[in-house]
Amino acid sequence: MKTVQTEVPEALYNKAVSLVNEGWFLDEKDVFSEAIRRFLETHQSELMQKYIRDDIEWGLHGND
Amino acid sequence: MTEETRDVVCDAGPIIHLDELGCLDLLADFREILLSPSVVEEIKKHRPVALTVKLPFSVLRTHNRTDEPLPTTCRIFALDRGETESLLIMESHPDAIFLTDDASARMVAERMGFRVHGTIGVIIRTIRRGRKSPEEVLSIIGSIPSRSTLFIKSTLLKEIALKIKKEFNPDPPLTPCSN
Repeated sequence: MKTVQTEVPEALYNKAVSLVNEGWFLDEKDVFSEAIRRFLETHQSELMQKYIRDDIEWGLHGND
Repeated sequence: MTEETRDVVCDAGPIIHLDELGCLDLLADFREILLSPSVVEEIKKHRPVALTVKLPFSVLRTHNRTDEPLPTTCRIFALDRGETESLLIMESHPDAIFLTDDASARMVAERMGFRVHGTIGVIIRTIRRGRKSPEEVLSIIGSIPSRSTLFIKSTLLKEIALKIKKEFNPDPPLTPCSN
């Protein structure tokens, strides 16, 4: 496991703490790991490249 | 071929990025630009000058029905309020095009069956629409890293430029070497 030190807005941190206090997550680290995992799933390099290539195709050959 | 113009539902990203690049006027080529209140707030926060440009903006309010499939999907994908509201507008304007530069929002939009594109598509489209020359568009694309907060890796920017050049100004065909 890697240790990362970062700053997050207080409101965001408080929401993470709430989720832990409500018993949905083990601790704040668990919340942030899950959040990053989900972000990375939708921001895969291949996917973002596909979106750009779709845009090129639409830009050059679309009909609207 | 006759090309139709459509309404667009716009997330904050494309408006901010196009304005940073000095070409927000490219959106004038769409019939109406539908914005949600949260998107307007986001633009006011990050790029207030963009809202002073004379464009066919309309602000539409949405009802956040938290128990329905779309808001639930948006929460699962951690979309922000502006993106969620924009997709709710798309639900009631399914013939519109959704403009966003956010990968998660784009993924949800595609799964919902909506037409979705981003800043790059809008810029390139202007060649086809006869509003900019290929050279002008190449210049805008080339200025993205220095003038805008839209992040696209350099190899992909080169690929975009190459495709535009091939489409509009093809290089002479390579002649095979004779040994």
